[in-house]
Amino acid sequence: MSNPMSDFEILIIEDDKKIREELSYYLKNIGYKTNTINDFQNILLYVRESSSNLILLDINLPFIDGYTLCREIRKESDIPIIIVTSRDSEMDELMSINLGADDFITKPYNLQILSARIEAILKRIYKSASPTILSYEGLKLDIAKGKIYYNEKEEILTKNELKILHFLILHKSTIVSREDLMEYLWSSELFVDDNTLSVNMTRLRKKLEDIGLTNPIETRRGLGYIMP
Amino acid sequence: MKMIDYFLGKATFLAINVALFSIFGIILWKIDVNTFMIVLLGLVWFAPLLLAFLLDYVKKHSYYQNLVHYQSSLDKKYLLPEMLDKPTFLEGEIVHEAIADAYKQMHEHINEYKREQKEYQEYIETWVHEIKTPLASAKLILHNRDLDYGILEELNKTEQYVEQVLYFARSSHVSKDYLISAFSLHEVVNTVVKRNAKDFIYKKIKLDLGTIRQVVYSDKKWIEFIINQIVGNAIKYSKEPSAEIKISSMSFENKVQLQIQDNGIGIGMKDVSRVFDKGFTGENGRVHSKSTGMGLYLCKRLAKKLHLRISLVSEEGVGTMVLLTFPINKALIIEK
Repeated sequence: MSNPMSDFEILIIEDDKKIREELSYYLKNIGYKTNTINDFQNILLYVRESSSNLILLDINLPFIDGYTLCREIRKESDIPIIIVTSRDSEMDELMSINLGADDFITKPYNLQILSARIEAILKRIYKSASPTILSYEGLKLDIAKGKIYYNEKEEILTKNELKILHFLILHKSTIVSREDLMEYLWSSELFVDDNTLSVNMTRLRKKLEDIGLTNPIETRRGLGYIMP
Repeated sequence: MKMIDYFLGKATFLAINVALFSIFGIILWKIDVNTFMIVLLGLVWFAPLLLAFLLDYVKKHSYYQNLVHYQSSLDKKYLLPEMLDKPTFLEGEIVHEAIADAYKQMHEHINEYKREQKEYQEYIETWVHEIKTPLASAKLILHNRDLDYGILEELNKTEQYVEQVLYFARSSHVSKDYLISAFSLHEVVNTVVKRNAKDFIYKKIKLDLGTIRQVVYSDKKWIEFIINQIVGNAIKYSKEPSAEIKISSMSFENKVQLQIQDNGIGIGMKDVSRVFDKGFTGENGRVHSKSTGMGLYLCKRLAKKLHLRISLVSEEGVGTMVLLTFPINKALIIEK
């Protein structure tokens, strides 16, 4: 999978071994590098020396609690921090943000939401580093401008079409089910239903064909779509 | 306490005195004592007696008058002994002490329950947070191993029930456990919709989301919980095909209203008035899916604490609409 985020390294500070490993596995799977901490007595030292781009920080830690840690890290670094906690009152959220955390996610998290938040923060903080142009066999997708280019022809995409194409290119050579596609759209607050997706798909295909691609998105009956 | 009643209460004592004086008077009269002397004797006999009664009456009158007054005007009647001055007569002192002691005992008793309830609530909070870690790790494992979607769904249900427990504990807590802030309604509705995305997508339910621009003052988490329960119900009782859930808002002069409308199976006439009752499941709960009857009851409880209005209209076979009303006047939001 080619994720434009794949150069980013995420540091997972979580004392529950299972969660730590599974989370790391999941994040690696969607294309990040990960790093975990096993020794909770010297977290600060570790954080200071690590080259991570983002920290996922659990609140309930042995030796030092996450809030204190967050404040300590903030004193010397601007690294983005997402606090992960099972406490979910307004007060906890406020406290996290006041201590300098960039975001706050409650357990048990929805993985789609978790990855969306990570991506959003990385994008915001390391804007220049993340490519806004994706390419697929001569087709160029400019996410920032919402345009596609092919052989000097260009076409403007709607928000829905842009997201659909983006997702398909990210998962090129794999079959993407309609449900997966919809879940991705919903996580970006585009609440499309089945019919709308069909309409968007038809329009997107038409636009791709208009600029000269032939059958770029294949339908696999009963399974979904694929950009081979 | 009227004077006449007081003296009527002393009637026996006075009657005995009058009788005794009469006998005494007759004897004196028989042995030829001067009538003037007899009248004088009567005066000496009765004047101090009546005077003493009168003084006693005045003392008791003011005490009991206060007692009756406070008893009828106090909002919290058990505070009575705090309000009264200590009486200066013996029976009054005895009664006063008895009442004060009873009050003190009751106070201690209630405090003990309060402490116990608080402890229980704290335990529930801790427990809920503890259970979330294994839930999170189970979900992660399922996700990573690409295991059964069914199990994941069951875990999600478990998660929802755990959340209900937490909010029940929060809603019954004696102190205020919420934080009022300004937030955009749109943001909370989106969070809820995203939380339920899988259901919308896999059950092919169309979402019609109106433009929601209002900012309301309330506790964001509690509102999220309430809306999530309502949307959850709308999904649970949806009707195939072409199920649709419509969420929109309206502004009025002094309130903001959030409407959540579905075209699901609806609620029968005889059930609709009782949906907010604790443990009420009704026909739908029994026939269509397992229901604990806690969801809407909790919504009502939380809404009441936040000074919101929640109401529901429904027609069997046609659909249900839930209205959540936020007052705009900030003074109404904070509990008195």
